[in-house]
Amino acid sequence: MTLRLNRRHFLGTAAASVAATSLPLRASAATPFTMQAAWINDAEFAGYFIGIDEGYYSEEGLDLTYLSGGPDVIPESTIIAGRADLALTTPDTTIKAIAEQGAPFKIIGAQYQKNPIGIVSLASNPILEPKDLIGKTLAVPPVNVISVNAMLALNGIDPADVNIVPYAYDPTPLIQGEIDASLDFTTNVPYTISQQGVEATSFLLYDFGFTIYNDTVVVTEETLANKRAELVSWLRASRKGWDENFKDPNLWPQKWADTWFAGTGRTIDDEIFFNNAQQPLMESPAGYMAMTEEGIEANLRALSEVGIKGTRDMFDTTLLEEI
Amino acid sequence: MAVETSGRWRGVRTAAILLAIWEIVGRLEMVAGGALPGISEILIRLWVDWGDYPRHIWATLYASTLGFVIGNTLGIGAGVIFALSPTTLRLFRGVNIAAFALPPIAIAPILVLTLSGMAPRIALAALGVYFVTMTATVIGLSQADSRATDVIRAYGGTRWDILRRVQFRGALPSILAGLRVAAPNAVLGAILAEFGGGGRWGLGAYLLGSLGRGEPDRLWGIGLVATLIAGLSYGVFALLASRTIGATRAVTLNTAVPDAEPMVSAPSKRIALTLGTIALPFLVWWAFIKLTGVPGLISKTPLGVVDYLFFAPTAESAQTRLLAALAETLPITFLGMAAGLGFAFVLAISSRLFPRAIEAFMPVALVTQTMPLVALTPLLVLILGRGTSLTLWVTISVTFFPAFVTLAQGLALVPRSAEDLPRAYGAGRWTEMRMVTIPASLPYLFAATRLTVPRALLGVMIAEWLATGKGLGNLLNQSRGFLDYGMIWTVAAVSVLLSVIFYQAVVIVERRVLRRLGMATAE
Repeated sequence: MTLRLNRRHFLGTAAASVAATSLPLRASAATPFTMQAAWINDAEFAGYFIGIDEGYYSEEGLDLTYLSGGPDVIPESTIIAGRADLALTTPDTTIKAIAEQGAPFKIIGAQYQKNPIGIVSLASNPILEPKDLIGKTLAVPPVNVISVNAMLALNGIDPADVNIVPYAYDPTPLIQGEIDASLDFTTNVPYTISQQGVEATSFLLYDFGFTIYNDTVVVTEETLANKRAELVSWLRASRKGWDENFKDPNLWPQKWADTWFAGTGRTIDDEIFFNNAQQPLMESPAGYMAMTEEGIEANLRALSEVGIKGTRDMFDTTLLEEI
Repeated sequence: MAVETSGRWRGVRTAAILLAIWEIVGRLEMVAGGALPGISEILIRLWVDWGDYPRHIWATLYASTLGFVIGNTLGIGAGVIFALSPTTLRLFRGVNIAAFALPPIAIAPILVLTLSGMAPRIALAALGVYFVTMTATVIGLSQADSRATDVIRAYGGTRWDILRRVQFRGALPSILAGLRVAAPNAVLGAILAEFGGGGRWGLGAYLLGSLGRGEPDRLWGIGLVATLIAGLSYGVFALLASRTIGATRAVTLNTAVPDAEPMVSAPSKRIALTLGTIALPFLVWWAFIKLTGVPGLISKTPLGVVDYLFFAPTAESAQTRLLAALAETLPITFLGMAAGLGFAFVLAISSRLFPRAIEAFMPVALVTQTMPLVALTPLLVLILGRGTSLTLWVTISVTFFPAFVTLAQGLALVPRSAEDLPRAYGAGRWTEMRMVTIPASLPYLFAATRLTVPRALLGVMIAEWLATGKGLGNLLNQSRGFLDYGMIWTVAAVSVLLSVIFYQAVVIVERRVLRRLGMATAE
């Protein structure tokens, strides 16, 4: 199976290179362009998978390479190192890096208008708002502690009153009651918990004052200067992909059972749930991937409450206007 | 023969009993509310999921094989150079100790930052094998039969002839034994890098995707496959070794970083060499960054880390956070060293007193060595909570095995005649143990300590990362959320440095004590 795939892939590459060399006169082959995603393949990135599969990027003249993420992958690092042109990041991290380390980033779009990160708990021991967390044990991935502290501060809760422990991506301790709540994508975890025969409840940090985007589209200033046209093309094709995806959120995940989602360890039903749940978090009157003035303002306000001093010029909305 | 057969059957029987207990405990959900699944549940799940496995296994094999080849080429090459030139061996001592002691979880993020694609996996796999093979090569080459080399020399043979005709042949068993121990290390290194590095295929990536489902039977299945691959890779080289040299050797290897003979040379030269030994690891670090060409914002040279810690505007905050983390990590690390060593010691003694029970325990012990700890975390926190006892048990599980093997070997090597003396005077097993066996195996106790001490820091950092949210392990992970590259490099550097210091401290105490007692260092 593997061997055959590899050989086919090899033959394909060989054929492609022969074709490329035998047609030297054909003008403007697609421009290579690489994006770094924030996590392993799941419905979170459905719009880009459609864009690749349906040729939206190649229609725009982009030969897109898609890099998936993981716990040790810091998306911003990939663009600093020049291994990708564009990365999907969490805006709190990116803005803090620009403000405090002078990192040369610009945010040119935002996938999630509302950050899907929330507090997940069991319906039998529900945590419905931030103040319910006082005296409870909350599991948080170490990289997200910054967001939780922000949400707690915004709601007048001393982080010392919440017992924060590391979250190692496995909901078993929550299901077993070893912890009272965990921080995770609300688009996803309530479903996996329900699969274990337990009902979950959740709330978004966004709904309690931490009004930030997520999967912000980040580039270096250098890329912005040198590849502006490609970036606009990428945004246009990506928006088209997301438009297509939400025409029927149940449709696409099934098609990818043997491609994008093969062997991820997750189920297709999980991805379908995810895809439906994320739609309201991504919709914007200005279209998918948009950044409105109110949205940017809300981001800056929430972050300033926790001492991250972002400014409007860290966002560049002019590319979205060119779509 | 008959005795041996019945002994083997008894082993099978004990294993069967253990598996049956596991099955019952798992099926009845007696441990941690069902977080420990029964054996049959794991196997059935493995069967159901099997379609997912081939590509993941293939990717893991690919990265670990490549890492194995590269690491061993470097290891054997370096071993030959070190065996020929004691000065080089001395000069590289710092690098070698660092390669032995470095905690993989602190290095994995660094590799993912600086390398791309499959490279971090291959690099981590190669790092896992370099030290073992290098040591085996140096020892193998230096133990050549001097009579054979004299013959070559008498017939006018060159240094190269000696190496080729005598030393390599003599070293082969040692090198093969090294490869055998190195092979599972390569597999584990690759899986760790797959877990964090963001690729699509590989058992580590599969584990990450599966974690979110809250299904322990799947996680145990992945762990079982990882164990099987690691075990098979060991078995392949064990078979190769027995085919090639027609004899089996001890499962253990020298645990000492090979050291050159004491030199008789000018003090100035000695000081220069010592300084070089200390400087070289930092030079290697610097060269790695220059070669990868990763921009300075994300990759820090040794000077970059010094600057970050002492001169940058944020230096004070960095120092405060680092010191706070160390204050949390170090005490429990010392406790963990003692616990790991103590556990290994008790186990080794018990293996003499109750050989059957320990024999049955060994398969379980082996699984703890290859099962990715992240897959076991839910089970561990449910049983042990998130306090000191969890940290200690994780540390024990990371440290005890090599120490146990070394100690058991030491106890087994005590001369029979010495043990017969107290027995002749009517002493019991325990008195004989206390008065003869334990003191006589002191060199092995030190060898085991050398193995345990640097790994204890690794165990503590893993527990901090996965469960307790304290100390260096947590600081490393939080720093990623802050894009605090300076801190990521600082934690990696400090953890390697600490491991090296722990190792070197044991070596110094060991030399003093053994010299006073007139004993030789255990190899």
